[in-house]
Amino acid sequence: MLYYELKKIWVKPGTKIVLLILAATLVFACYFAIHGVYYVNENGENEYGIEAIHKLKAAKKEWAGLLTEEVIADVIAENNRLNDTEMGRSEAVHDSNIVFGWKQGFYDIRWMLVRSFCKFRESDYYVPDSLAPEDARFFYGNRLLRLQEWLEEDAQQNLFTGAEQDFLIQRYQAWEAQAPLYYDYADGWNQLFEWAAMVIMLTMLTLNFVVAGIFSGEFGYKADSVFYASCHGRGKAIAAKLEAGLLFVTLVYFAMMLLYSGIVLAVFGTDGAGLPIQMSNVGWKSFYLITNWQEYLLILFCGYIGTLFILSLTMLVSARTKSSVIAVTIPFILLFLPSFIGGSSLEMIDKILGILPDRLLDVNQTLSRFSFYQIGGEVMGSLHVLPVLYGSLALLLIPMIYQVYRRLSAG
Amino acid sequence: MQLEIEDLTKKFQDTAAVSHVSYTMEKGVYGLLGVNGAGKTTLMRMLCTLLKPSNGRILLDGEDIFEMGAAYRKVLGYLPQDFGFYPDLTVKDYLMYIASIKGVHRAAARKRVKELLGQVGLSKAADKKMKKLSGGMKRRVGIAQAMLNHPAILILDEPTSGLDPNERIRFRNLISEFSQDRLVLLSTHIVSDIESIANEILLMKDGEFLHTGTPEEILEGMPERVWRLTVPVHEASKYDKNYKVANRKNVPGGIMLRILSKERPHPEAEEEIPTLEDVFLSYFGEKAGEEDAIL
Repeated sequence: MLYYELKKIWVKPGTKIVLLILAATLVFACYFAIHGVYYVNENGENEYGIEAIHKLKAAKKEWAGLLTEEVIADVIAENNRLNDTEMGRSEAVHDSNIVFGWKQGFYDIRWMLVRSFCKFRESDYYVPDSLAPEDARFFYGNRLLRLQEWLEEDAQQNLFTGAEQDFLIQRYQAWEAQAPLYYDYADGWNQLFEWAAMVIMLTMLTLNFVVAGIFSGEFGYKADSVFYASCHGRGKAIAAKLEAGLLFVTLVYFAMMLLYSGIVLAVFGTDGAGLPIQMSNVGWKSFYLITNWQEYLLILFCGYIGTLFILSLTMLVSARTKSSVIAVTIPFILLFLPSFIGGSSLEMIDKILGILPDRLLDVNQTLSRFSFYQIGGEVMGSLHVLPVLYGSLALLLIPMIYQVYRRLSAG
Repeated sequence: MQLEIEDLTKKFQDTAAVSHVSYTMEKGVYGLLGVNGAGKTTLMRMLCTLLKPSNGRILLDGEDIFEMGAAYRKVLGYLPQDFGFYPDLTVKDYLMYIASIKGVHRAAARKRVKELLGQVGLSKAADKKMKKLSGGMKRRVGIAQAMLNHPAILILDEPTSGLDPNERIRFRNLISEFSQDRLVLLSTHIVSDIESIANEILLMKDGEFLHTGTPEEILEGMPERVWRLTVPVHEASKYDKNYKVANRKNVPGGIMLRILSKERPHPEAEEEIPTLEDVFLSYFGEKAGEEDAIL
């Protein structure tokens, strides 16, 4: 039964189109991830591709190691030394590019200096150029200091409760307690994370067109009478439909994600897997104390739970309304709803937005958001809540789909 | 085996599509005859558990079929009037899928599919996609799927629509052979489909059984007699107005009419042996002439 349900999905021309779109998505995502990194050669020209990635990796690897105050002071001193060269003082674009090439080995550390020495919600790329090597001692402490300054501002006073502020500060202190932290080349993970949300969302949206027809298709094809008049028509045959839908979604999702991450990591390497996510420009402010490979697992499984929940909802609507047209709109509503109601300063709206399922599809961004929930007196981040919440809801939806479809009348 | 319909009613809002129908069927072929809109499909859909009755019960050997659920559907085969399928599946895959949801084991299903494809003359089309089949071929696949599980109760709603004369003959033979030790209920508004194979005929009109019985009983119970009369062309319209005319045929010297009337319509009219087509016209009147009712 399951075999033929899968075959019914597989033989549809729409499924072939969906798989072609997914293949194109994979190609584009890998292309963007690989071509998002470039190496600046001694002539100040940008080089792209696998060879350029290897050259940049070699340059960054020279700075791999414990990021002690001395190393940070060395980075600041080296940055200042390069700025004081003739080319460093030049305002010509070509000269600036050459100087950038000299600095690219410590480019990641330079970005962390930007994050550490700028105010919490500000970003000034040139801040490291004004630092002295003695400032290195503030590098780790600044992270908490900037947060506290920001929390003391009036605007934030209403945004977080005292317990939430304490939670945030404790998390920042816990991170600082690990200092000095290890630095390594981690472009593979950073590039992987940057385009993962696009891969997950497009996978979910395209699969949506497949699953929307699984239940309503019986009515669309007017095959419902034979289906419901059969022995298993109000039992095992419905379960087989559900299994086929979930299996297809699971197989395609993991195939997409594993191919995408496999290709990107094969090109860039898995170096930096154990680095805390804060050791990068994007992750610096995150209060989640996890490493790059843990973030990868979180992206993979949260994306799966989010996809499973949204597509289960599509199947439920498809089963209830007997219409794939209505069902297919569900993920679009869930994805674009936050854009419509976002931008509000109302705390309640912010709380609601923080637990919408779209956050599961873009874990890299969610990790940097300060969305808190208090459950039983415990403060936790949205990523502590979301997987459990939507995992449970997805599990609840499955028997609901079965019951709804079981009780339908044939057309 | 006994399939008992007890005071069955199905209302759609205020309209009763089936109204207080009672009947008991056992093994054999039952022909459900009526014009479009008589309630045949609604009755059949209730018999297939697709529609719940507004009132009354359907019992199989004393047990309510809706309470029996899967156990009842396991012995049921159904071909709906509006037979739908999955266009991108091959004929063989479609039948294998239906066999699986009917609870037929894979090995047995393979054998049965092959056998049925032969019986409905579609062996060569086994690997064709359903959407590539002609209307008649699709209908034959529909008949095959209904018979996949060797059903003890076979319900066929307008099974011959879209079939050509050869296919109809093949169908009739197939049903005759299949109906041994089984209950076959087939609805039609085409009299010739059931004339030769039905053990009992149920005449349905406006949601009620108008008359039921063996073909002989139905013929005997016909309220009118059948007459043959040849009249000049200019007089034919007078008979059309005053009598039910079952047939008109141009012959040398005028038109030969087949007239249904209690009384001899003309001293020269000769009495004929009635057929089921005459019965159909007698009970359903002018409506019987709509679409392709009498073929």
